[in-house]
Amino acid sequence: MNIVIYIAFGFLLVALAVTLFRLIKGPTSGDRIIALDLVGFITMGFVLVYSVLINKAIYFDIPVIISMVSFIGTIAVSTYLKEKT
Amino acid sequence: MNLFKKIVYIIEFIGFYLIKLVQANLFIAYDILTPRMITKPAFLNIPVEIKSDFGLLLFSNLLSMTPGSLCVDLSDDKKEMKVHILYHESVEDMQNEIAKIQDRIIRISN
Amino acid sequence: MWWIYTFILAGSLFILIASIGLIRFKDIYSRMHVTTKASSFGIMLILIGVSLYLNIGEVYLKAFFVIIFVYLTAPLAAHSIAKSNRDRS
Repeated sequence: MNIVIYIAFGFLLVALAVTLFRLIKGPTSGDRIIALDLVGFITMGFVLVYSVLINKAIYFDIPVIISMVSFIGTIAVSTYLKEKT
Repeated sequence: MNLFKKIVYIIEFIGFYLIKLVQANLFIAYDILTPRMITKPAFLNIPVEIKSDFGLLLFSNLLSMTPGSLCVDLSDDKKEMKVHILYHESVEDMQNEIAKIQDRIIRISN
Repeated sequence: MWWIYTFILAGSLFILIASIGLIRFKDIYSRMHVTTKASSFGIMLILIGVSLYLNIGEVYLKAFFVIIFVYLTAPLAAHSIAKSNRDRS
């Protein structure tokens, strides 16, 4: 059943490429913040699927930290942009 | 008796939340994967009758997770909420839906 | 065993749908709809699948807390971005 894991990796890789296109192109800075938030989610997905592939439970700690840091980063950047004007 | 009724309401609310969650994601996946986009985005002002802060948190969270509505702003006196809706077909249906959600939350949080 | 792989595949498919929606929608509020709903639903499905595969008690607990945290904070992040975007324009 490893082929299913590789298909999931393919989906996540295409999602990362499309999100990076939006991150580079994005007309306003709000679009870039949204794209960065989604990059955090895609990274969590990569680490979780990789922990299935190599069968180690210790990798489950990484998404906990990524979710917190991604949320704090989003709030910090949007608050900075709001207070800057 | 009162506590028992409240527990029943909370369990019913969790089931309602999960059903709305799956429904919202199927709606939005269908909308993205079909070639023609049927969205007509618009803003909508709705009155809020919830008093407690926890109820307001639940209400904005559930409103962001139901199909085609996203909470944007809350006025200073907590009486009016600005909501961005994605399917601007019939405003009355959307308002009825939001009023139904609000009744359920008032039953829990008051 | 096949339902575990179904959960993982469906979760990554929902994240792919979120990124496609990010590139297809026209204005910023519609993009926020997609990245709030679909991506948190996809990460919830992947977490359920991986914790069913590993099948350890503390992994279930961590997965539960991560799901609660993501579902509490994804609307908050969208609210904050919308408010900053509305104040600047």
